[in-house]
Amino acid sequence: MRPELIDDVSQSALDPAGVGATQIVDLFHWMVGGGVVIWLIVVGLSVYSIVVPGGHRPRLTKTLVIGGGAVVPTVVLSSLLCYALAMLPELHRPPPSDSPTVKVNGVRWWWRVQYQTDDGRTIETANEIRLPVDEAVEFKLTSEDVIHSFWIPSLGGKVDMIPGRETRLKLYPTRVGKFRGVCAEYCGTAHAQMRFDVTVMPRPEFNRWLSNQSSDAREPSQQSAIRGGELFRRKGCGACHTIRGTDARGRVGPDLTHLASRSSLGAATKPNNTENLRHWITHTHHVKPGVTMPAFQALDEREVDAIVAYLEQLH
Amino acid sequence: MTAEATTTDERDPAAARLLDAWRTPTGWRYWTAVNNSEVGLWYVVASFTFFLFGGILALLMRIQLAVPENDFLTADQYHQVFTMHGSVMMFLFAVPILEAISILLLPEMLGARDLPFPRLSAYGFWCFLIGGIFVCGSIFFGVAPEGGWFMYPPMTTEYQTGVGVDIWLLGLSFIEVASIAAAVELIVGVLKCRPPGMRLNLIPLYAWYILVVAVMILFAFPPLIAGDLLMELERSLDWPFFDASRGGDPMLWQHLFWIFGHPEVYIVFLPSVALLAMIVPTFARAPMVGYGWIVLAAVGTGFLSFGLWVHHMFTTGLPAISIGIFSAASQAVAIPTGIQLFCFIATLLVGRVTKSVCLLFTLGGLATFIVGGLTGVMVAVAPFDYQAHDTYFIVGHLHYVLIGGTIFPIVAGVYYYYPAVTGKQLSERLGRYAFWMMLIGFNVSFFPMHFSGLLGMPRRVYTYQPELEVGTLNLISTIGAFVLAAGFLVFLWDVLRPKSKQPLAPRNVWNAGTLEWLAEVPDKPWGVRSIPIVETRYPLWDQEQFVQDVDEGRFFLPGADEGKRETLVTSVVDAEPIQCLRVPGPTFLTHFAAVFTGGVFILSTFHWYVAAGISGVLAVATILVWLWTGTAWIPEKHEKDVGRGVTLPIYVSGSRAVGWWAMFITMLGDMTAFISLVFGYFFYWTIQEDFPPQDSTGPGWIWPIAALLAITLVWSAVMAARQFNRQNRGSMFYGALVCGIALSLTGGWALLMGPATHAMDPTSHVYPAIVWVLVIWTTLHVVVGIVMQLYCAARRMAGKMTARYDADIVNVTLYWHFIFLTTLITCLVIAGFPMVAR
Amino acid sequence: MSKSISRDNRVSPLWAIVSAPAVWAVHFLASYLTAAIFCAKLADSDGSAGEVQLAVMSYTVIALLLIAAIGASGFRRHHHGRHSTSHDDSGRDAQRRMIGFATFLLACLSAVATLFTALVLVFVGTCH
Repeated sequence: MRPELIDDVSQSALDPAGVGATQIVDLFHWMVGGGVVIWLIVVGLSVYSIVVPGGHRPRLTKTLVIGGGAVVPTVVLSSLLCYALAMLPELHRPPPSDSPTVKVNGVRWWWRVQYQTDDGRTIETANEIRLPVDEAVEFKLTSEDVIHSFWIPSLGGKVDMIPGRETRLKLYPTRVGKFRGVCAEYCGTAHAQMRFDVTVMPRPEFNRWLSNQSSDAREPSQQSAIRGGELFRRKGCGACHTIRGTDARGRVGPDLTHLASRSSLGAATKPNNTENLRHWITHTHHVKPGVTMPAFQALDEREVDAIVAYLEQLH
Repeated sequence: MTAEATTTDERDPAAARLLDAWRTPTGWRYWTAVNNSEVGLWYVVASFTFFLFGGILALLMRIQLAVPENDFLTADQYHQVFTMHGSVMMFLFAVPILEAISILLLPEMLGARDLPFPRLSAYGFWCFLIGGIFVCGSIFFGVAPEGGWFMYPPMTTEYQTGVGVDIWLLGLSFIEVASIAAAVELIVGVLKCRPPGMRLNLIPLYAWYILVVAVMILFAFPPLIAGDLLMELERSLDWPFFDASRGGDPMLWQHLFWIFGHPEVYIVFLPSVALLAMIVPTFARAPMVGYGWIVLAAVGTGFLSFGLWVHHMFTTGLPAISIGIFSAASQAVAIPTGIQLFCFIATLLVGRVTKSVCLLFTLGGLATFIVGGLTGVMVAVAPFDYQAHDTYFIVGHLHYVLIGGTIFPIVAGVYYYYPAVTGKQLSERLGRYAFWMMLIGFNVSFFPMHFSGLLGMPRRVYTYQPELEVGTLNLISTIGAFVLAAGFLVFLWDVLRPKSKQPLAPRNVWNAGTLEWLAEVPDKPWGVRSIPIVETRYPLWDQEQFVQDVDEGRFFLPGADEGKRETLVTSVVDAEPIQCLRVPGPTFLTHFAAVFTGGVFILSTFHWYVAAGISGVLAVATILVWLWTGTAWIPEKHEKDVGRGVTLPIYVSGSRAVGWWAMFITMLGDMTAFISLVFGYFFYWTIQEDFPPQDSTGPGWIWPIAALLAITLVWSAVMAARQFNRQNRGSMFYGALVCGIALSLTGGWALLMGPATHAMDPTSHVYPAIVWVLVIWTTLHVVVGIVMQLYCAARRMAGKMTARYDADIVNVTLYWHFIFLTTLITCLVIAGFPMVAR
Repeated sequence: MSKSISRDNRVSPLWAIVSAPAVWAVHFLASYLTAAIFCAKLADSDGSAGEVQLAVMSYTVIALLLIAAIGASGFRRHHHGRHSTSHDDSGRDAQRRMIGFATFLLACLSAVATLFTALVLVFVGTCH
């Protein structure tokens, strides 16, 4: 089964699929409308003052300065301020305590994602977030190194991930679909390629996904995959990556236990397919500059094939 | 020039002497000039050169982003380019150009011969040039900073170990010092160097704006300098100010940076509005409508702009209350901005408008700026900012503000003032081409960015994927950027093209009403033949025979009988003449001082601390020589007839003297930096459960109290010395200073002993680090205070300071008032607060 | 000469201009610091910030009273002297009127800005 192509995802704040994002788009449309009217009036007045030269009564202009310059803006800004302030408490209110919680840890330049299962276990994955539709979810955001910012434009606003602090973000997806999240705070070399996939799905599907994620990695059955698992261990991949159920327990890089179930590679840099996976292993820095993982150029064709076969059966 | 000088000689010997005193050096000595017309012009040219450099960097970025997944630049190259683009435009163009234009024009607008501290302007300029070249040069060696113009730690403290961040921190701190120097100069210029009669209600609006802006610089730049200091200490000595694992916090940097960074936007914007406030009345042929309203707007914006900084941090997870408070202030600041615009429109409506390229750029600027202002109000609304923050929407917004609000008015200003500075006019035809290319190019380039941002394109990305569907928008932006650049080329050609065959422009070519248009064509180095009495806001329009009276020397200081450079100092409010100030002339000392000061910063970048130390000693020595030879000259007579039967003292001290004001203003800036460090201390207290940490014993209270006691005594000793000097009791004076110096040494030593005797290791935790910083800051000031006391003793010994002419000791006393305050706060914080907190 | 020397220390008109915005600044800082310190150090787990609301409301009352007084004094200066209200002639009266007018306007702006700050606490009552 080939994973889906990467390109049918939404990354637009103007195409809202969550409560917060929808409210903000409405606000945006009101402000744009008002802004256009104000701009037309002011620029119209200035053009008029030049095209129709001369000698307007000073009293009229006094009214203009007081009315147009002071009173009208004060009234308009006060109403806008009230409207905006009224939105704030709801956007900042924490979700009900039984809502699902997702911990996301920003690492240069990928995302460590942790879910809690009902039996209290912590399930780790990376660069992919799945959410049940029509439920508030709370994100607990931290950073391991520099400041990142966690942003899923279609679902709502962004919140920074700051070393030494835990910030929180509440999102409320209202539409099933695939979305793209990005790091919005400049964080160094591969900032542009620090993205992640978001899938909003119905609750039952979400539960199935989560229970699959909480299982250990499946044992390879095909010959080449077995050999690939062997190579994975021998080449030291486990020093950085975890594959639950094996002795690969590294914490430096992303957890690969269910790598094949993800839609993309390298923090949503490329679609997850055989060709890209091969290329990632052998030409890592060509795909994404600055990555900590060394490029395994010394591997021969068959070794790469085997490792790829092993990784591709980690559903 | 020579022929003309001879004829002047014969006709009017007073004019000849005046010309002689103010003559610009020729040949290679031209570069020793310190007069505002020369320094101002160099400053303008240098800032524009940096602007062009920044513009080329922008084009490189636009090429890279023209198509998805482009490989024109590597990631690291792109990051260097955008970091340098932002830093160059902000630190090497936007702020310096306003200071440059002000140094060039402010004295002319005030009918002054020069600013009160010409050598300080020159020193500031050379510092700026050296620092600018150093910072810009780094990109050609591939070692430019790549942390963004905001340099957020811990990325810049722990993850970028190259020299780039140090170049940014030290190179730009060096330039900030120059900016503060210029701010001091401009504040004193507006307050004390106005022509007689120019009360506060008659000041040209430009001067009001510049006064506000200079005060803003004074309070906005020091927090950044404090932040730079903390970050450089973390980088070179591993003091953990921003390292969360040892109690530090990266958010402190963000606060300090944006307390600077948001006023900065208005520091850049207000002077450009100030230019418009000069241009609009001229072309409307009518006085500005709503003078009081504009003063309201300038002062109001100046204040409110300090209440906006957190709106750059809306997404850092702050409580909704804090966000709301800053959101509200960010909305409020739109009110004064709107008032200014309506005053301009009202002026145009009242007057009879003459069309010109200046007015085109003015209008184009307004139309553009209003878009930026409106999107600014949008992002000030916090919920919308949660989406727009750090996206291309912001890139679009800020360029509408800065290009519409700053660049267009500055270009209008260049068209307007070019004849006053060079005697030739720019081409209206080329100007119109440039205008339309710039306006269209700009909008084509930046308008689409609002959409690419909302479609999900974050800022500061060196590449983007084709499926993001912003490829077309980005291509359009890139095309627009090149049209904009072409417009600039046309403008540049118009400015630079040879004009020797072109006839000279008539004097006061636009028929303006303000004093800077008194300038003769070609310009004379003396500025104005005589310093006029001003009775209206537009004396050239309203005062009869004004130009003639000025030219024929019927006002003040029409000659230079002693061959000295002189200008008038007037009182702050009523502008009554109180002093005939002698200002120094050409020198190389400022160059040496700038080179050695630059050496301290530049050599430290490469951790060559010994060389940097030597350079620092040389810098101090040069500055002392400069002060010794160039300030507080004892005049040959007490008073001087300045014309019209008025006799003024040549030497004053205390609050009537410009030097006293300079010291006062500088120390306000210095205190602001110090308060920023104190803010850091309490910031750590708010974010930590346990601060000061339970296991920390230092610095105790004994040593700080001892230090405070010693410094209080020094303070009294210095005041006593001032008194003894005034009473001409020499031995008592020297005795007081000897006591002062001994006690200063004791006080400085006691300050350091506090943390030193309590094993406070500054690398272990942020608490000892911040205590050490406060203590070292205070001690360094005490050391400078010792040098000052020695200087005063030497001045009196050398006969350069007497009982009557005592400016040196008076200013040093003022300095010690501030040092006492600094020590008091330091001791209360480091010794007192731990007792309260536990 | 001595007359003008004594006058030079008369910088009060400049202070009059900046006094109202200075009140705003103090109110603003006090409100922000109260909120920031309360939320960082004292807030309960439910995050309610009723104390901050109360504190800011009392700051606001004080600030508005001060600003009103400053504005009124500015308004009086503005109407000082003969019946003329011109700001742009050379006498000391005109200067006084202009300064009074600017003081009055700045008081209005400061009052609006202060109310804006207070408005936040009407809508937002928690530390979340």
